[in-house]
Amino acid sequence: MAKLTIDNREVDVAGGATILDAASKLGIDIPTLCFLKGCKPSTSCMVCVVQVEGFASLVPACATVAGDGMKVRSDCEQVHEARRAALELLLSDHVGDCLGPCHTICPAQMNIPLMIRQIAAGELSDAIATVKNDIALPAVLGRICPKPCERGCRRAAIDDAVSICLLKRYVADVDLESGKPYSPVRRPKRGKSAAIVGAGPAGLAAGYYLQQAGYDCTVFDQREKPGGMLQYGVPEDELPRDVLDKEIALVEKLGVRFRCGTRIGDKISLEDLRKDFDAVFIAVGTLEPEGVKSMGLKPGRNGIAVDGKTYQTNLPGVFAGGDAVHKRKLTVRAVADGKEAAASIDQYLSGQAVTGPAKPFNTRIGKINDEEKGAFAACGSAESRVPPVQAGGGFADGQARLEAGRCLHCDCRKADNCRLREHSDQYGARPGRYKVDRRSFVQQLQHPEVIYESGKCIDCGLCIQITADAGEKLGLAFVGRGFDVRVAVPFDCSMAQALEHTAAKCVVACPTGALAFTG
Amino acid sequence: MSELDLTFVERAVERIGTEKEKVLEILQALQGEFGYLPKEGLERVCELTEITPAAIAGVSTFYNQFRHRPAGRHIVNVCVGTACHVKGAGQIYDAFRRYLKIPDDDDTDAERLFTIDKIACLGCCTLAPAVQIGQVTYGHLTPDSVSTVLSDYLRQEKAGAAEGAKAAKSQVAEMAPGGEIRIGLGSCCVARGSGKLRKALDETLQRTGINVPVKRVGCVGMCYQTPLLEIVLPGERSFLYARVGPEDARAIVLRHFKMPGMKRRISSAVSGALDSILTDQTSEPVTRHSINVREGHVADFLGKQVHIATEHCGVIDPVDLDEYLIRDGFKALRTCIDDMDAEQVIAEIEKSGLRGRGGAGFPTHLKWSAVRREKSEKKYIVCNGDEGDPGAFMDRMLMESYPYRLLEGMAIAARAVGADEGYLYIRAEYPLAIERVSEAIDRCKQHGFLGDDIMKSGFSLGLKIKPGAGAFVCGEESALMASIEGRRGMPRLRPPFPAQSGLWEKPTLINNVETYAAVPWIIRTGSVEFANLGTGASKGTKVFALAGKVARGGLIEVPMGISIREIVEDIGGGIGGGLRFKAVQVGGPSGGCVPASLAHTPVDYETLKDVGAMMGSGGLVVLDETDCMVDIARYFLEFTQNQSCGRCTFCRIGTRRMLDILERLCAGEGKKTDIDELEHLAEIIKASSLCGLGKTAPNPVLSTIKYFRSEYEAHIEKRCPTAKCKALISYTVTDDCIGCTLCAQHCPVDAIEYKPYEEHEIDDEKCIRCGTCKTICPADAVKVE
Repeated sequence: MAKLTIDNREVDVAGGATILDAASKLGIDIPTLCFLKGCKPSTSCMVCVVQVEGFASLVPACATVAGDGMKVRSDCEQVHEARRAALELLLSDHVGDCLGPCHTICPAQMNIPLMIRQIAAGELSDAIATVKNDIALPAVLGRICPKPCERGCRRAAIDDAVSICLLKRYVADVDLESGKPYSPVRRPKRGKSAAIVGAGPAGLAAGYYLQQAGYDCTVFDQREKPGGMLQYGVPEDELPRDVLDKEIALVEKLGVRFRCGTRIGDKISLEDLRKDFDAVFIAVGTLEPEGVKSMGLKPGRNGIAVDGKTYQTNLPGVFAGGDAVHKRKLTVRAVADGKEAAASIDQYLSGQAVTGPAKPFNTRIGKINDEEKGAFAACGSAESRVPPVQAGGGFADGQARLEAGRCLHCDCRKADNCRLREHSDQYGARPGRYKVDRRSFVQQLQHPEVIYESGKCIDCGLCIQITADAGEKLGLAFVGRGFDVRVAVPFDCSMAQALEHTAAKCVVACPTGALAFTG
Repeated sequence: MSELDLTFVERAVERIGTEKEKVLEILQALQGEFGYLPKEGLERVCELTEITPAAIAGVSTFYNQFRHRPAGRHIVNVCVGTACHVKGAGQIYDAFRRYLKIPDDDDTDAERLFTIDKIACLGCCTLAPAVQIGQVTYGHLTPDSVSTVLSDYLRQEKAGAAEGAKAAKSQVAEMAPGGEIRIGLGSCCVARGSGKLRKALDETLQRTGINVPVKRVGCVGMCYQTPLLEIVLPGERSFLYARVGPEDARAIVLRHFKMPGMKRRISSAVSGALDSILTDQTSEPVTRHSINVREGHVADFLGKQVHIATEHCGVIDPVDLDEYLIRDGFKALRTCIDDMDAEQVIAEIEKSGLRGRGGAGFPTHLKWSAVRREKSEKKYIVCNGDEGDPGAFMDRMLMESYPYRLLEGMAIAARAVGADEGYLYIRAEYPLAIERVSEAIDRCKQHGFLGDDIMKSGFSLGLKIKPGAGAFVCGEESALMASIEGRRGMPRLRPPFPAQSGLWEKPTLINNVETYAAVPWIIRTGSVEFANLGTGASKGTKVFALAGKVARGGLIEVPMGISIREIVEDIGGGIGGGLRFKAVQVGGPSGGCVPASLAHTPVDYETLKDVGAMMGSGGLVVLDETDCMVDIARYFLEFTQNQSCGRCTFCRIGTRRMLDILERLCAGEGKKTDIDELEHLAEIIKASSLCGLGKTAPNPVLSTIKYFRSEYEAHIEKRCPTAKCKALISYTVTDDCIGCTLCAQHCPVDAIEYKPYEEHEIDDEKCIRCGTCKTICPADAVKVE
């Protein structure tokens, strides 16, 4: 028996229990990467360090036996700083992209690789959900987007970028024509309302997401029909209006009300909207400074001055986005603004701190060299870019799947269950803290189910223990010493030989994306 | 390549054993046979033994000793220890590569004759810069001399002399009535030619028929004077000859001993008639070397020393058991067995104030009583002889020169704590130490000082040698024990301490070589005597390896509390070449640099820590005004980074990030924030690393920032004040050039055009900043800025 305190809370544990055991008994969360119940603590990651009164050094909670009378601190600045430092050091030697470069370059931050895999697997109803999670008007954008994502595509450096935009259009078109288009789940009504001024791409997107979040949205537009410049600016041959109308109809179907032919400033003023609605989003397109001032808003360099992250204007409860705050931006940018402003407005209306949408944690490989291109290429099909043959330039079913098979899966297979990513996000670790020459990107694909990326390995050694304990004939070993330590298969054999029985166990135990199901 | 002879593997396994912990020995045998570890051989080992493929892959890639691809016929190990580093080891390494035309991605020349490698420290710091080829060590190299070294080696190898000096064993214990010749045969001495001298002496004695024993003695410590030869005549003062060459042997012998059949020995009076070399007694070469112990610098060198661990230095034959016994050897063990119980022994050690000499200075008696307290059927005793600090060679010298003293100390300790089995973990880079200690163990066993029923007391102790395989981190006790158990030498979290759970989870006493070596003296002479030496909390003496930019480098044993100034100036004779004393690096990669302004600092555990250094194992590398402190910090971080076991994040990646910054600074790419960033990383690594290696790794950086911050700032401004960092300096020829063309002839990269009688010019693009032109220029016309 040992009686100790952690963060001034008392706890009793059995003899031999560790500080980590004691903390978990108290419900105190201590982050770990290299620790796994049932394995010997490898005291490698050092993310679980805590301070013990009277000890000169911080100690790893996973292996330090809880002593009677110990006074442990897990929530002080020194501990947090050390944990953050450990994470930042691990990140500085982490060769991997959590999110695909196409995903992070997309102004709307759409999870493109996921969509592509869903297309490849024929799961189109999942694919449309993925698309619409971030892009309210995908059929529209599938026709007019200048596709920054394809400039980010790694495959562009090998042969040609994956036709991301056409794939997205394919997903959206199939959905629109399905007769039962995708309709997102709506959260229960919140009893609050939002006015959206301008039914262009930004306004439509804001309405689409705010309505989903449970707010009653009304969109005002001075023109006869909603759509803004999509309706009145883009040439018909680029964007057939029936496509636009169908997507707008889906917004309306969600419950968003449209009051077209209503110019704010004529009969109804911004002040009126502020009185009648709980929040206002202004997305009226390009504005002159006089127009801005006349609404009582502070002008910025290109229209209304807003907070870059939250889209808040100088007036409480009034947000603005799209071309009303930055001139001549891409439609996809406007759609993104609408989505992001909706997140801020949701925070505002639910009484939270308004911080804007959370940016997902991400590490990046950056530029890759020719050898690494080869490693990446191994993960996609050898097909060259598929030319669309359908009328109007879209993909037919088979074509879409063929094209989708070209994706290299640059994003991490464990982005959603990587503990390094989770804790880095939690502790605010900055991946770019140390500027270094990174090691090479390597992927080992010999195992039928498991992929090994040594650049993502944090040398925790769990897989080595698991293979040894299970009596794998070859198993895995630490090879080398110091900074160059890597987990490898003895005698240059393949992963398939190393993990005859323990592949799944190792993948689950691996705290990062180093070992993952090929999927 | 022909089919591998796997029968060797089978024979080796049969000889060594099939247990898991035999992996290092088996790998060493394979490497010895094949020059590398062939995959087929390793696979065969796994088939024949308990060793798994994962274990063999892990272990064989952890230790520096092992190669996985075939090497050239000879391996050139360029020592990059601290002393060698400050004397230009990097340029020697580059010069070898250049001379052998080894491409960047390889380590072996096209003819597969020489493989070039860096070695952490040969422990021959007074010979810096040094290289080891096969068993031969060459010292005081210059980039220009590499060709000579290689051809000399090949010539020697042809002559069959390359296996180094294996001194014949002396049978004489007491001094022979007719006097004796003593010759230092420590590794340093051998490297400086004492092996050849020994051969020349034997030849002379044989040819002249003079019957006088030649006795090898351990290290005298005066490495700066090696090879040393001492003539001891009964009833007369002894004659000490320094820097003796083989060609001097005959003259020296004839000077002091008579040839059979002659009435008296040759004196100066008749020498002219007999031998041209002795026509004039004051002529070169003999008297040039003759030094008298009473002479000034010898007296200075020895004057402040107190010999405890190095007792009888320069007098006794290292492996002559009889001589050790005559000089009170094993008397202390006898006393312990006959007159003291274990508690009394530990109490004596406590009273002496002895603390661990491995570096951290943990009170020895506490360790002993902790092990004694444990109730266990089995306990082990381990001697840490893995002296890995670059710039330290005390333990090598103690093991080479006083193996019996070490064994006696271990026996006393083992009895006190109740251990009956143990290991001496000795680094593989010290073959002579391994040879002598193992010979000493054999003789002790034969004479009942080790083995079963020691001195008929019922107490038994079996000791074995476990050679390391090149991993600095194995000096950390938990890593060392992992290594003995046949695993990768990775430290683990302590507690539990070895006293509770050590080798194979049994209570284990682990002390450093020097700690054990001090024990017999303490028991024999008295704990009070020992405690009378030293300071408040640091008692007794400490052995230091004094090297670097000091006039008289060597091995010294001094009382604790002596000041750095006394060591550097009085014992070491100050800095050579009229340069200014800048700092002394104490404690190697765990220690720090103490600036000249703090030279009054007394050497003891606490004070050194207070000034940002550390006792460490006792390497003292003296730096002068031409040494760049940023470069020194970079050097040490490169070392620890390279030697980190790789387990914990802070050490594995943290030290690497510190090194990134230091490399950036030395390359002139530093940023304003770099000093802060270094300090930030240093603090976190110190506070959170798992083991001592990581916790102390930032010390060399922190101490140099503390005392030499302006040098860091200068590097950020792309200046190296001492003109050491290659990227920040350029070589130019001044008007003083006399057009002698020497520089053009010696420039290894043809950066200087051959222009007789004209002022030469250096092509900055081609120049590799090797310094050869500056060294060779007779007119001092090469400027570095």
